[in-house]
Amino acid sequence: MAELTPAVEIRDLVKDFKTSFRRQPLRAVDGVSIRIMPGEVYGLIGPNGSGKSTTMKALLGLVAPSSGSCSIFGKDSLQVDSRQDVGFLPENPYFYKHLTGAETLRFYGKLCGLGGKALTARVAELLALVDLEEAKDRRIGGYSKGMLQRIGLAQALVQEPRLVILDEPTAGVDPIGSRQIRDLIFKLREHGITVFLCSHLLEQVQEVCDQVGIIFRGKMVREGRLEDLIAIEDQTEIILKDASPELIAQITALAGTSLIRTGKPRTTLERLFLRETLGNDS
Amino acid sequence: MTSSAAKPKDSHVLRILVIARHAFTQLVRMKVFYFLAIFAVIVIASNFFDLPQHEGPEAVGVNVLRSIKSWSLGTMTLFSVVLSIVATALLLPKDVEDRTLYTILAKPVPRFDYLAGKLLGVLFLVFVSMALMDLLMTLVLQIRTSAVLQQQIHMGQQLGWGPEEIARLKQETLAQGSTWSLQAGVLAVFIRSSIIAALALLISTFSTSTLFTTIISFLVYFIGHFQADVRDAFLHSESGGQGPVARAFALLLSLLLPDFSLFNVIDSVIEGQIFPLPMLEKLMALGLFYAVLYTVCSWFIFAKKEF
Repeated sequence: MAELTPAVEIRDLVKDFKTSFRRQPLRAVDGVSIRIMPGEVYGLIGPNGSGKSTTMKALLGLVAPSSGSCSIFGKDSLQVDSRQDVGFLPENPYFYKHLTGAETLRFYGKLCGLGGKALTARVAELLALVDLEEAKDRRIGGYSKGMLQRIGLAQALVQEPRLVILDEPTAGVDPIGSRQIRDLIFKLREHGITVFLCSHLLEQVQEVCDQVGIIFRGKMVREGRLEDLIAIEDQTEIILKDASPELIAQITALAGTSLIRTGKPRTTLERLFLRETLGNDS
Repeated sequence: MTSSAAKPKDSHVLRILVIARHAFTQLVRMKVFYFLAIFAVIVIASNFFDLPQHEGPEAVGVNVLRSIKSWSLGTMTLFSVVLSIVATALLLPKDVEDRTLYTILAKPVPRFDYLAGKLLGVLFLVFVSMALMDLLMTLVLQIRTSAVLQQQIHMGQQLGWGPEEIARLKQETLAQGSTWSLQAGVLAVFIRSSIIAALALLISTFSTSTLFTTIISFLVYFIGHFQADVRDAFLHSESGGQGPVARAFALLLSLLLPDFSLFNVIDSVIEGQIFPLPMLEKLMALGLFYAVLYTVCSWFIFAKKEF
């Protein structure tokens, strides 16, 4: 079986930004490598200023790497055609306030080369998906924060991309709006769309992601499958079905016939994050 | 998430037109056409700037026709230059500030298409504005010309002028009205504003603020009117002190900055003279050269820009 082309391949990405005259350049990203296979949901987490957004921008060709490379489905990110397969929702997006929700989707659809009845159908489908059918003829200027995020997600999906990049998709959104966006990410996963997201809401990342990377001061400090990362290595978890008190009493001596699963008890992603970034073990 | 979308069409022209149409809509919804009401007031007011005449019938009412043309073309110049500079200077930084540029460039949109689309949108807006202003000016001029003509013919007949003299009078008066030369003059105003819009686009690709772009663009516009004098001073100075460096500088300056004094031909159109066709061709070539030059330079800078 032929090896699948990764949806995202970031190799040893380094990004330096020039600062004022004579000063050392600021290294925003320092040797980050990420590989996301098709269909995976990858969460990149890290404190503010740790290089998450710069990594995403490099992947989208909005900034050029100082060294290293980024590719999307095997195509170099600096090439325009790599964007044919990507949908992007930036952090706190503002769309053109003079356009309505439907006009916004039509505009982005046309930019991707869509048109005619196919575009009309796609716009209607996306408005239904993000639950904005009733607000489709209202100007974006009057949209709430949650509605803006949802129309942003819809524009990211307009050309049916195989990869969706979401930068803080729930930033500033109320719990209901946040849950709606989470549900949309689940839907994307169900449809086999690769999702690359960064978020401060660790609980949400834990809920939706298969793979997680923790970035701190521009460096990737931990990366791997979520299940593996949040496993506590020095403990063992035994789950029993209908265990009687007598049986529980005998567990330490005898792990016997009713044993269903053994594995590692989980910590939370939040605890892992704090431990990796601040060294806080509480 | 069904697969309802048809195979996308990958066309630069279509994409540029989509962005141009969007930029046009954006500016229209910013209510920029309100200035047309001011233009209408100016054109109507210019009807009343008729100085009393004490000469023969051929001079009666001619001043008012010149006044209408002068005020109209002057206002067209002002509005088109201001609109070209301000609209172009506003669009790019606004997209960066609002992060809408991220969502556009994250789509398969080449940066050249984005720039060309924005410029084309502004030019289309200026063109539509000027077409509407031209229509109003022509209408007012037509009405006023026929009124002036009637007055002159009446006076001429009272003075006992023959049919040949009256025909000549009619021809001379019609030359002061709405002519093809006047339309060429309006086209020249548009060409000049196209150059200015492309220049503002170039400046906005490296500028950090809308204000900077606006000020520099206006500055270059004014310098452009003296470019020919500066160039001649450098190239044809008799002092002998001009070395090859100064000459090269003068040549570079005259290549990079358009010679806006060529557009002074518009003034002679106001005086009722014919707009020479070769001059119009020269201005069109000049406009195209600078619009393309500035857009390509903008692309070189914008292609390397990081967001």
